[in-house]
Amino acid sequence: MIAFEQVNKFYGDFHVLKDINLTIQDGEVVVVIGPSGSGKSTLLRCINGLETTSDGVLKVKNIQVNEKKTDINKLRRNIGMVFQHFNLYPHKTVLENITLAPINVLKQSAEEAKKTAMYYLEKVGIPDKASSFPSQLSGGQQQRVAIARGLAMKPEIMLFDEPTSALDPEMVGEVLDVMKALAKEGMTMVVVTHEMGFAKEVGDRIVFMDQGRILEEEMPVEFFENPKEERAKVFLSRILNH
Amino acid sequence: MDFSGAFTSDNLLFLLEGFYVTLKVAFISIVFSFIIGGLVGTLRFAKIPLLSKVLAVIVELVRNLPLLLIILFTYFALPELGINLSITVSAIVALTIFESAMLAEIVRGGLNSIPKGQMEAARSSGLSYVQALRLIILPQALRRMVPNLVSQFISLLKDTSLAVVIALPELLHNAKIIQAQHPSYVIPIFLIISLMYFVVNYALSLVAKRLELKHA
Ligand SMILES: Nc1ncnc2c1ncn2[C@@H]1O[C@H](COP(=O)(O)OP(=O)(O)OP(=O)(O)O)[C@@H](O)[C@H]1O
Ligand SMILES: [Mg+2]
Repeated sequence: MIAFEQVNKFYGDFHVLKDINLTIQDGEVVVVIGPSGSGKSTLLRCINGLETTSDGVLKVKNIQVNEKKTDINKLRRNIGMVFQHFNLYPHKTVLENITLAPINVLKQSAEEAKKTAMYYLEKVGIPDKASSFPSQLSGGQQQRVAIARGLAMKPEIMLFDEPTSALDPEMVGEVLDVMKALAKEGMTMVVVTHEMGFAKEVGDRIVFMDQGRILEEEMPVEFFENPKEERAKVFLSRILNH
Repeated sequence: MDFSGAFTSDNLLFLLEGFYVTLKVAFISIVFSFIIGGLVGTLRFAKIPLLSKVLAVIVELVRNLPLLLIILFTYFALPELGINLSITVSAIVALTIFESAMLAEIVRGGLNSIPKGQMEAARSSGLSYVQALRLIILPQALRRMVPNLVSQFISLLKDTSLAVVIALPELLHNAKIIQAQHPSYVIPIFLIISLMYFVVNYALSLVAKRLELKHA
């Protein structure tokens, strides 16, 4: 469903992604880990075309992302994205945040969009916040709204870029719980995170990146118990001893 | 000195007529420059390859010229190019050119002040660039721009007095006519026109404060 073939990316002279080959199947949960600056966000953002690739082929649902002919807006309907800093629209209520794209992109009626929005708000556990503004919510609640906003487009793929990194520790759990439920329902997920518990529990595969390269691609059990790459070992010891 | 003659209803009416012209010219210029400046600022923000660069050059050029020069240009130089404008239209065109450039920068700055994540979230959800601008970025940016926009409008209202050089019958012009006939009225006339400018501009800035509080 998502396929990188020999993908490279440069920022000017800087080589951010190096020879990326990665295939992600429908329903898979892939957790991307690696040190800061290793290119995790860039990899994720290439999938929905927020970043362009420099060469190689990247296909999502068999459609080449970086092609002139590709209708990127149409492709993005199928790919939800959740950001580290939530990026909710501050001038819109929670409900409006969630219904905006369904109404304007999918041309749903306001009622239909509202029904869907309430369904997902229910699902992330904060239906009572529908008419609040984002600034009135806690970080954990904001991130759950952001997830509901992504889900309301009924995407086949969800991308998460460090969804819990900006949260106070006591709010991490509530967001991870929503993500775990989603994973268990069979959503295709690509998750950049430092939450190793989450990776072990619901990850189908761990992708370890360093300096723009994918160094290891393993089942979680295998990766955590028996990392092969020296740099993966160092990274794990650092993050697990925290 | 005897000022009493300065406050006759004839004089006041004449000044009010001038102030009406000031307000009219300022208002029309504001409407046009809001449209043009908004469009130019947005196009510059959108970084459209050639167009944004060209607009940047024009905006910088205009912003670095004295408004007085632009007023003189539209009235005295354009006819040489075969474009004859009435005094009022000259003044409106000059003010619009200048204020559009000023507003374009305010609009561009306002758009740039919205965090990148807003555009990314909007585009990720499948909105087109124009939809994202219209629904997500512009509404937020406009709220932040209100104080700057209003103070620019106040400047424009004051700057309208520069059109006195092409004899636009605005407030300052009419005041000068009265003074020419009655040199001793200088001070009262100045007081009256100052009061007129002050009342309107101060009211505008109060409105701006209200709007700011509402959005804070
Ligand atoms: N727009 C850009 N222009 C130039 N360099 C960039 C740009 N965006 C990212 N980079 C660089 O590319 C590298 C990879 O960035 P990326 O954000 O993908 O890393 P990351 O693995 O997500 O790191 P983190 O864990 O800190 O989020 C970094 O060295 C970063 O400085
Ligand atoms: Mg990152």
